Amino acid sequence: MSSGRIRAITGALAPSAVLLAIAILGLFFDTYWQYVFAISITAAVIGSALAMLVGYARCITIATGAMLAIGAYGATIPVVHGSMPFLAAVVTATLLGACAGWMLAVPGVRFRSHNLALITLVFQAVVIIVLRESKTLTGGAEGMHVPPPLILGISFAKDADFLLLCGALYALAIIPMTVLLAGAFGKNLRALASNENAARAFGIDVRHHLIAAFTFSSALIAFAGAVSAPRFRIIDPDSYGIFTSIFTLAYPIIGGMGSIWGGLAGGGILRVIPELLRPLADYIELIFCVLVVATLTFFPDGLASAFWMGTGRRSDAKSGASFATPEIELAPIAELFAATEALGPGAPAQAGGAPILAVEGASKSYGALRAVDDVSLTVAPCSLHGLMGPNGAGKTTLFNIVSGFLAADAGNVRMSGALLDQVRLESRIGLGMTRTFQHAAVFERLSCLDNVIIGLGRNTIARGLVRSVGQAFANADSRSERRAAQSALAAVGLGARTDDLAGALPLGEQRRLEIARAIVSRPRIILLDEPVSGVSVEEARRLRELLLAINGELGIAMVVIEHNIAFLSSLCQWISVMSQGRILAEGDAATIIADPRVRHAYFGEQEVAA
Amino acid sequence: MMIVVGGLKFGAIYSLAALGIVVIYKATRIVNFAQGAFVLAGAYATYGIVEASHFGYWPAYVLVPIATGLLAAAVELGMLRPIRQADMFALITSTIFIGIGLSEVYRLVQNTEMLGVRNPLPGPPIFIGDVIITKEQIWVFVGAIMSALIGVAIFGYAPIGRGLRAMAANPRGAALCGYSNDGMNAMAWFLGGALAGLAGIFAAPSKGISPELAISMITAGFVAAVIGGIDSLRGALFGGLILGVAETLAAAYVSSAMKNAVSFLLLFLVLLWRPEGLFPEAKIRDV
Repeated sequence: MSSGRIRAITGALAPSAVLLAIAILGLFFDTYWQYVFAISITAAVIGSALAMLVGYARCITIATGAMLAIGAYGATIPVVHGSMPFLAAVVTATLLGACAGWMLAVPGVRFRSHNLALITLVFQAVVIIVLRESKTLTGGAEGMHVPPPLILGISFAKDADFLLLCGALYALAIIPMTVLLAGAFGKNLRALASNENAARAFGIDVRHHLIAAFTFSSALIAFAGAVSAPRFRIIDPDSYGIFTSIFTLAYPIIGGMGSIWGGLAGGGILRVIPELLRPLADYIELIFCVLVVATLTFFPDGLASAFWMGTGRRSDAKSGASFATPEIELAPIAELFAATEALGPGAPAQAGGAPILAVEGASKSYGALRAVDDVSLTVAPCSLHGLMGPNGAGKTTLFNIVSGFLAADAGNVRMSGALLDQVRLESRIGLGMTRTFQHAAVFERLSCLDNVIIGLGRNTIARGLVRSVGQAFANADSRSERRAAQSALAAVGLGARTDDLAGALPLGEQRRLEIARAIVSRPRIILLDEPVSGVSVEEARRLRELLLAINGELGIAMVVIEHNIAFLSSLCQWISVMSQGRILAEGDAATIIADPRVRHAYFGEQEVAA
Repeated sequence: MMIVVGGLKFGAIYSLAALGIVVIYKATRIVNFAQGAFVLAGAYATYGIVEASHFGYWPAYVLVPIATGLLAAAVELGMLRPIRQADMFALITSTIFIGIGLSEVYRLVQNTEMLGVRNPLPGPPIFIGDVIITKEQIWVFVGAIMSALIGVAIFGYAPIGRGLRAMAANPRGAALCGYSNDGMNAMAWFLGGALAGLAGIFAAPSKGISPELAISMITAGFVAAVIGGIDSLRGALFGGLILGVAETLAAAYVSSAMKNAVSFLLLFLVLLWRPEGLFPEAKIRDV
């Protein structure tokens, strides 16, 4: 086995090993502490499940208590009323939790922030009401007796045995969560949480991902509820109430939002604090609240991450290194071609033939404002096509129509002759169309390499899950992805920035990262929205060289929106000028600059002496 | 009919709570889950003035809104200002935990089951045909609606309101025009907190004072605000009334356990069919 593979597999098993180790460590303490250890690792598992939903997807859920209750009751009722074996009951409860998560998410994830919080709150309240009212099944508010787990005739009634059982079951159950969070699925979740529009442009279906996150996370929470229920002897609806939901929300926040470790540590440690600080028991909730608000204010990445950073701080020595080279190294673009070969053929670049992009009579109105008014535009394959016009001319709206963010009121868009109207935004990257954004839209909390890997566009749910598993084994496919992303980064001159967080880059480098992300899938056309706005003259010149090289060597067509006329005229063979939603003029750079109508649109009535 | 009247009373209180949420949201784009705790603070202050200090109700109507307004402004300046640049997630979770924290402080200070405040307007009920209406119901309904309308008027017409609305539309533009964003944020929270305090005064006699009040008021206030349209002052008013009537009807004709379920059902339906609320203020475009 290669060292990369060993490292990947060790990483996937490490959280399980830690849980199991803590369980075994607990055997050396008295029964009270064995109980404390058992609820602590339960909380750690809950924390890791919330790491997915709260930490990665940044969804506020107040339904954790309900999911725990579904797990606890879902396992206990079949055991008590149907004499189902314990393990089968736990599996049933887990599936029930997955279904509940799915049912909550399908209507829920249409919303974000406060509305999602409200819907989960509603779900929480309704589940508790139902449990309290179904007295024959659940014993109502008085609660329900839970027998000790019985597996193959062995009873796990003693605290030590129960702790070991918990450790073993949790260690197994947490592996899928670790794999998903560390892999492509987790990266995609963080990408959509950091910039939803950019995520969608690269094929991440936000709805599907959030529904999946709710489902997985709820399944694991229900599992934890099912396994831990016997330890409480009696379960009642109120111990899974709204306060449980809110305080579990603190686990990933305080622990840290960026990895499964934050959730594990947050849950494991916070759940033990009340036991350690018995004299302060009354103040414990208040302490939690203060901790959460303080963490959000001073350590947005969580206390665990702050601690992590404090002990093993990464050197920032590399920053600024890429500024040292005055010229962009263009050679690796050919390598990019070779490196992406392993991931299947890119879109073939063919000169001549049908226009790569044809917009026919597109219109879009906002109320009375016709932002785009009957615009037709043709882009030749492998060409560099400029799009300029005063503010509010409708350029970005046109881009949004072409890339699928907006549906046009009238007209249509064709790519190499094929109609795009029915093609969803998330699928357009598969046809060979990518874009950059007016405000650099990198995924700030991900490394440059991960940004570019997302740019490969292999981001449907199914593919993300399969890729996550592949990455846990560091299989050939995941290595090819890394190589392709690496060479794309090298191609734009960010080869030394691979592991740096995208948000830490200066603006000019973020623009280049966007370009790397846009070219790595070897698309046929890239839409660039103001690629040099806000960067220095020198940086703009370098970006122009880069774009020319990409166009020349990979044959990727580009449509470039830019206000910087000098930049645009030195980059593009053909320029279209928009004004007030219409195409005002088209032609090569010299014609456009000389055109009186263009001057009129830019400078007003008075003719400016040249 | 009697039930509807009772529902309108609670509905008017919900309207006040919802209005505070909407005012804060409109001006600062922060969804304030701590609003329930401000209502609780208002109710507790009412207890302090009316029951503990025997000052009667009139001072309460003046002092309580000021006190809760100052509390809300202090929360904004002290706790939320440092993270105003953070994302929605951080802001909302902060307000959730600030709310719970304030309720916890109350529980630690006043560790009793439930405090009661006497009826502000005792006296024989009024008969209109078969309908019996207590004076308290009329007083609470009229008082709460009047307070809400005053709140709307301040936001919509007073000079202070112009600053708030300017900031809602464009914080940087408002700052350039000489409105201090910090000051305006604090002002919005003061106004929202004052409305919560008024809700607390009106809620205290009939709902009692306990941490439960914070939870029930935040849930009801939010459901009302979302039903009406979180961006709409008018929506908050009507949303509260609709919710109050629906809840009391469900409690009377089905069962008291259904009371919560009905409000949630309403919320669910509105979010599914009309996510912008029943009374949206304006269409918002988001690109």
